[in-house]
Amino acid sequence: MSEGKHTSVSTYVIVALILGVITYVEFALVEYPQAWLGSGWTIFLLVALSIVKFVMVVMFFMHLKDDDRTYSGFFSSGMFIALATFVGLTAMFILPKAVASTRPDNRAAQEASHAVPHELLDNVETRGASRAPAEIADTPAVADRSVSVEAPTAPNDASTYSVTPPAGATAQGGAATAEEPAATEAPAAEATGAQSAAGEAAEAEEPAAQEATAEEAEEAPAQAEAPTAEEPAAAAVSWDKDHGAAVFNANCMACHQMTGQGIPGAFPPLASHAVEVYAVAGGRDYLADAVIFGLQGAINVNGMTYNGVMPAWGHLADADLADALNHVLTAWDDEPAGFQPYTAADIAARRPDGLSAGDVHAKREALGLH
Amino acid sequence: MSAEASSHAASGASAHPAPYRSSKLPDVKLLMWVFLASDTMFFGSLIGTYLAYRERSLVGPFPQDLFDIPLTTVSTFVLLMSSFLMVLSLHALRQNDIGKFRLWTAGVAFFGAIFLGFQVFEFTHFAHAGLSIHQNLFGTTFFILTGTHGVHVTVGVIWLVSLLVTSYIRPMKAKDAVYLEIAGLYWHFVDIVWIVIFTVVYLVEFV
Ligand code: HEC
Repeated sequence: MSEGKHTSVSTYVIVALILGVITYVEFALVEYPQAWLGSGWTIFLLVALSIVKFVMVVMFFMHLKDDDRTYSGFFSSGMFIALATFVGLTAMFILPKAVASTRPDNRAAQEASHAVPHELLDNVETRGASRAPAEIADTPAVADRSVSVEAPTAPNDASTYSVTPPAGATAQGGAATAEEPAATEAPAAEATGAQSAAGEAAEAEEPAAQEATAEEAEEAPAQAEAPTAEEPAAAAVSWDKDHGAAVFNANCMACHQMTGQGIPGAFPPLASHAVEVYAVAGGRDYLADAVIFGLQGAINVNGMTYNGVMPAWGHLADADLADALNHVLTAWDDEPAGFQPYTAADIAARRPDGLSAGDVHAKREALGLH
Repeated sequence: MSAEASSHAASGASAHPAPYRSSKLPDVKLLMWVFLASDTMFFGSLIGTYLAYRERSLVGPFPQDLFDIPLTTVSTFVLLMSSFLMVLSLHALRQNDIGKFRLWTAGVAFFGAIFLGFQVFEFTHFAHAGLSIHQNLFGTTFFILTGTHGVHVTVGVIWLVSLLVTSYIRPMKAKDAVYLEIAGLYWHFVDIVWIVIFTVVYLVEFV
């Protein structure tokens, strides 16, 4: 036999029983939450219980308890390096995130998509009130997505939302999001609440967009018609959607990801973000410049700082860049208000400026984006 | 090397090792522990990556829309119990009780297959709900992590079944226990990885 002492069957049975019981306790802790424990202690308990299970399997089933120390040595060095990797990842990603949490946005988007009538209204208000402006600015765009999907199926909004996919401008997103559930589910009394929430969200918008948004929030039904009016203008210039996607996937996807979500802390998201930049006065030209000449310098997107370098893409053809930008602005979001698809001529017109990546960054700051 | 290792395992530390050997431990078992150490780092970074990107998905489906804790608890339980059968199987082989060895080993492989069945069910369910590896950061990190784990389980099942088949082709004796033992080490390792995943991926999501 390869090692001295062998564990007896009765020990195995006891260990298996304990493992089973612990698993049930873990399940019960999550399934029947204990208010008096609070979430902090619950997580602590769950982690502690899983460590107990882990150690029991290693000690008794894998016999490290009685086996040669060499094995434990190898295994614990592996564990040590794994833990170090883990701590490193935490330091790089999770700590910066604690400063600028994206969590409430996810929640808001989720709750909106579940269309929980009264709770949603509460959430719109309480969350809106308790969050930092930078985070609010991100919310409408995210939630807006779910609204625009649901709008056509909601029973009584044909009057206000007869709109097909390109449903609203980003700047109007905040108003649209809060307004939607009120129009669908709530009587008039609650609509007031929704509008005040919309107002709050609007306050967080960039100055340029602020006026428009506040106006829209006040006359809610009117704002829903706006996009319909703008649709024909948007449809005037056509561009090749497939080509745009192909250029994006070949050149931009590696960093900004196929879904345009980027990689937090490394590559900024374009989904729900490029449309915001586009909506700022001068944003349309800036986006073209960023792609033609690259971008370098610290920028802040959705409360997270990026200080990277985007290479210049000027070596690509005008038409390629135009369609890639059109893809970025339409693939994951509703078209921005008054969207005019980029044309090859638009790109060609920006080239003579001959900016550096740093110049583009300065230009970005000048637009009021930081 | 393997023949030497097994005869060595059977005769214990008293057998004098070949001159180039610096360890009295069976090579295959040492090798398995070294592999497990490296696999720990592998899973450590996958789990770390999952946590680093947790709650960073901009679009749904989100974990809370999809996870089914009762179901996953059952599959976790099944995997734990397969580990229990694994030690019984090793115990039986060391007692030269081939009948029980076969029974328990078949049990381990069967429980492993049930666990995989749960995973296939879960993945199809998630896919229907719109989660793909491209959909969002959750989809990417979740499928890579649990998929890698599932591949490990699959390898374990194949390994155990092949040991079982071997036992019919050529007689298995107590002295061969080291081969079952390393398969067992691998199996338990896959189990402890799941213990961690169950807590940090599934349970914590609902606290
Ligand atoms: C090598 C990785 C990489 C690739 C490939 C890449 N980008 Fe970027 N992109 C970045 C980084 C990094 C930034 C932010 C730069 C900074 O921190 O100043 C950025 C910024 C941007 C911005 C500006 C966002 C803002 O808030 O101002 C746009 C627009 C953009 N990228 C579009 C594209 C397009 C379109 C492509 C494909 C033609 C592309 N990117 C390819 C890394 C990349």
